[in-house]
Amino acid sequence: MDLGNLESLKFFYPEIVLSGTILLLILFDLFIRNKRWLGLMAFLGCILSLVTTFQLYGMSPGWLFHHMIILDNFSLFFKVVSLLAALLVVWMSLGCREIREIHQGEYYTILLTSALGMFFMASSSNLLMAYLSLELVSITSYILTGFLPHNRRSTEAALKYLIYGGVASGTMIYGMSWIFGMTGSLDYARISEALFQGQTNHLALFMAFIFILAGFGYKIVFVPFHMWSPDVYQGAPTPITAFLSVGSNAAGTAILMRFFFPAVSRLGEGGDWLFISGVEWPHFLLMVSMVTMTLGNLCALNQQNLKRLLAYSGIAHAGYILMGLVVLNNDGLKAMLFYIVVYLIMNLGAFLVVVIVANETGKEEIGDYRGLAWRGAAIPAVCMAIFLFSLTGLPPLAGFVGKFFLFAAVIKQGFYLLAVVGIINSVISLYYYAGVVKTMFLDFPEPTDPQVTMTANTSALLGVLSTLTVLFGIYWGPLVHSLH
Amino acid sequence: MADPYLAVAILFFFAGIVVLALLLIAEKVGPKKPSPVKGEPFESGNSPKGDARIRFPVKFYLIAMLFLIFDIEVVFLYPWAILFRRLGILGLVEMGIFLLILVIGFIYAWRKGALEWE
Repeated sequence: MDLGNLESLKFFYPEIVLSGTILLLILFDLFIRNKRWLGLMAFLGCILSLVTTFQLYGMSPGWLFHHMIILDNFSLFFKVVSLLAALLVVWMSLGCREIREIHQGEYYTILLTSALGMFFMASSSNLLMAYLSLELVSITSYILTGFLPHNRRSTEAALKYLIYGGVASGTMIYGMSWIFGMTGSLDYARISEALFQGQTNHLALFMAFIFILAGFGYKIVFVPFHMWSPDVYQGAPTPITAFLSVGSNAAGTAILMRFFFPAVSRLGEGGDWLFISGVEWPHFLLMVSMVTMTLGNLCALNQQNLKRLLAYSGIAHAGYILMGLVVLNNDGLKAMLFYIVVYLIMNLGAFLVVVIVANETGKEEIGDYRGLAWRGAAIPAVCMAIFLFSLTGLPPLAGFVGKFFLFAAVIKQGFYLLAVVGIINSVISLYYYAGVVKTMFLDFPEPTDPQVTMTANTSALLGVLSTLTVLFGIYWGPLVHSLH
Repeated sequence: MADPYLAVAILFFFAGIVVLALLLIAEKVGPKKPSPVKGEPFESGNSPKGDARIRFPVKFYLIAMLFLIFDIEVVFLYPWAILFRRLGILGLVEMGIFLLILVIGFIYAWRKGALEWE
């Protein structure tokens, strides 16, 4: 199936619905007084788009818009992930005081635009499309990061993000130009054909991959392209931090796999992937994965700010997710996709508790969480403990199942060193996650510490996220089954 | 068989030598008569006054952004106008949608007061 422009529109409903919502949001923002409706509208648009995405599931794979966009279950999966992230973040924003004080129309517009960019990141099958979609996500992320007016941290984070992102994407497009020079095409299928004829210079190809990885790597946040993340995560409005930590990571992983799988490797017999000999990118990714998780976890040990701590833990989790890519087979792929879903739920949950506490206290330091359980917020404290232990990978929570699949895939292929490093890292991470839990339950609150209460809206979202975290830890069968 | 890129390397080598040689010869042989007028920055004949780094209102930035957006709109219109007959009614509809989106942007800029100078 290779469709032209008009026929493609039939398979393009999720994107059309989302674009329509974005345009309507801009218009309604101008004429509506009560800005709360805008959030609800964004929420509805996401749900509608989600429904249309599910309708496309199970179709035979094909290309849209003259080989620009690929439509298969893989891209649909990542569309669902980015929509879920956007949906939950919109929900989270509805109950966030930080957001209520700023221009909400622009906020939701740009948030949904970012989700739209992630759609294209997951489904581009052309280097130009990949670059454009990555830029769409990046530019919207810069704006969202700097969205808090008169806040020095937010502005500083946005500027750092912009400069870092500019350098990374410049490097990436330079690498893409090398690939174009060597193969004469921007289309993934043609690149693959040209590369497998084996007449390209391996050193040049390797250099081009490294350059391109700089661009993808800064989205996934792996070492050494991680430097922007702690500052950005700390400075951005908390719902945006949650969105970036999950959405940016998932979309980056999607675009990386899209590039490495159809363009520079092939499906061999028995579900293993073949890659071009002489270009050892799996070994390179293996090292990157180990360094990323170790560095992320070690840096997280000393953090005093909870958002910064979650940023470093996000780096570590990017390392875990990369483990699934190193093994180069369908087991690894499935484990990775499962982990992305689970990570989405538990990480958004952890950030939701940060929002709830910051709504009342306006602070995000770990010290401000002392005795949270005894300050009228026993439920958020228990939920936070669930999310954090799930992030560590303790049974019977969803994070444990996700890590189990990842480690199983790695050990099956004989990467024992990677598995050992991963397990040691999980143990290290227990220390700082448990430190937060200890502060919430075992430390006593000062009399000056404010009480923390929740609205019905946020408690509903908190309930959904924590139930899912526990549910997927006990009963993961349906989710795994849906990944096939 | 020599590497096909050897020629490029040789070109780089000789280009470097020529540049270095010219600079060195000008440095050693050329007469030097400096004067204050010669040392001034060149501004199309006028003698420069004041600092180049002056402050100007941030509003220009907004105008520049708006200009850019609507400029690109026109850039898209030209190729469309040339191919109008071949694109037919479909092209008209597509351009209509494109312009509609831009008009929404225009209404937005207007309502938000981006066109007001004060």
